[in-house]
Amino acid sequence: MAPFGTEEAIRRLVETYSAMLLRLAATRLDSVQDAEDAVQDVFLKLLSAQPSFRDAGHEKAWLIRATLHRASDIRRCAGRIVPLETAESAPAREEAPENELLSAVRSLPPAYSAVLHLHYYEGYAIKEIAALLRLPAATVGTRLARGRERLRRMLKEDD
Amino acid sequence: MDREAYRRAFDSLRFSPDFQDRTEALLLEWVNRQEQEEATMNRKVFRRPAVLAAVIAVLMISVSAAVVLLNPSQVAEEVNDPLLAEAFQSEGAVLLNESVESESYRITLSGLVSGAGLSRWAEDVEEDRTYAVVSLAALDGTPLRHTDFSFGEYTLTPLVSGYSPMAVNNWTLGAQASCIERDGVVYYLLDTQSLEMFADHTVYLAFYQGFLPSRELFSMAEDGSIAFAEGIAGPHALFTLPLDESKADPAAVEDFLESSGINPMLGFGS
Repeated sequence: MAPFGTEEAIRRLVETYSAMLLRLAATRLDSVQDAEDAVQDVFLKLLSAQPSFRDAGHEKAWLIRATLHRASDIRRCAGRIVPLETAESAPAREEAPENELLSAVRSLPPAYSAVLHLHYYEGYAIKEIAALLRLPAATVGTRLARGRERLRRMLKEDD
Repeated sequence: MDREAYRRAFDSLRFSPDFQDRTEALLLEWVNRQEQEEATMNRKVFRRPAVLAAVIAVLMISVSAAVVLLNPSQVAEEVNDPLLAEAFQSEGAVLLNESVESESYRITLSGLVSGAGLSRWAEDVEEDRTYAVVSLAALDGTPLRHTDFSFGEYTLTPLVSGYSPMAVNNWTLGAQASCIERDGVVYYLLDTQSLEMFADHTVYLAFYQGFLPSRELFSMAEDGSIAFAEGIAGPHALFTLPLDESKADPAAVEDFLESSGINPMLGFGS
């Protein structure tokens, strides 16, 4: 099962990437349990597909893209599609600031939330996000600006 | 945007403390099971085309469904994508309405469309994508509801003849499937990297109960054609997509396979 099928390789993958992938899945999924399921599915997919990566950067990029896709599938197929307009105009609830921000991030279009999260939590620059998501840097820049503006608007409206 | 506030919000999430231990155990168990299966597997992966034909013949294909289904444009409207709804009404869209009856369900491929900027989710990306609508309905008319039917247990994925289902599928193509239920019918809207580059091969759309494409789910004939493995459980259907062969792009396929890093015949040959 080389290169990912050994106990050592599995431990390395899980210890290196779990925390980052769980947070990433949580940008699209309300439930912590769903996020954990999504990340386990992705690790299983990696073992099954056994891709050969040129370097650690490609491995990480593959895991990030796979996690975003799996989280979207789980969210969409659980009947939790919420039209953006509806989500943004929903009345504000009494929430802790952390929960408020999490809800706002999850209400963003997935294309925006992924870029925002990789920038604001993981600290990636625009060019790095472009390489991770296989997108033009200009597209990443646009999504970051639009996502930031929408998030700011949503949080301001909740004040 | 306050980066620290953002980090605090995500740090406040409480994931299971034993997540890593459970995940490592799950993955090791999967590896051990695979190795045991490989050791005891005495059936050949490749099957003769005649055998495949017999398997396929079990599935009944008709050109019309008995129930009135939403058309692809209406499904796109329902998932709040008016741009895609318009694309499904354009000349470039292909409406099929091919149905397969499998177990107690009817699975229908309603239509597909390919191109760049066709969806609200991709309007700022210069990348061709393919969209397809497939529906699932009970033959006896029993409504399928979220409360008693697990829509997420099903997979809708493209497959391409001559390439392993484990190498070219919804995961490696960056595909996503939305699903909605309307009037007791479940609609899946597939959004994938364009399939037209594979148009000089037979391109399939597979629907089945399960997760990852695997050797337990699919078989491949010596000529590269793909079929479901014998005896798989749950409703399933394999449609052939009518793509324009002139749009095949072998160089793009080569780039795709290279960037995916996956052996194109993974699990199905050398």
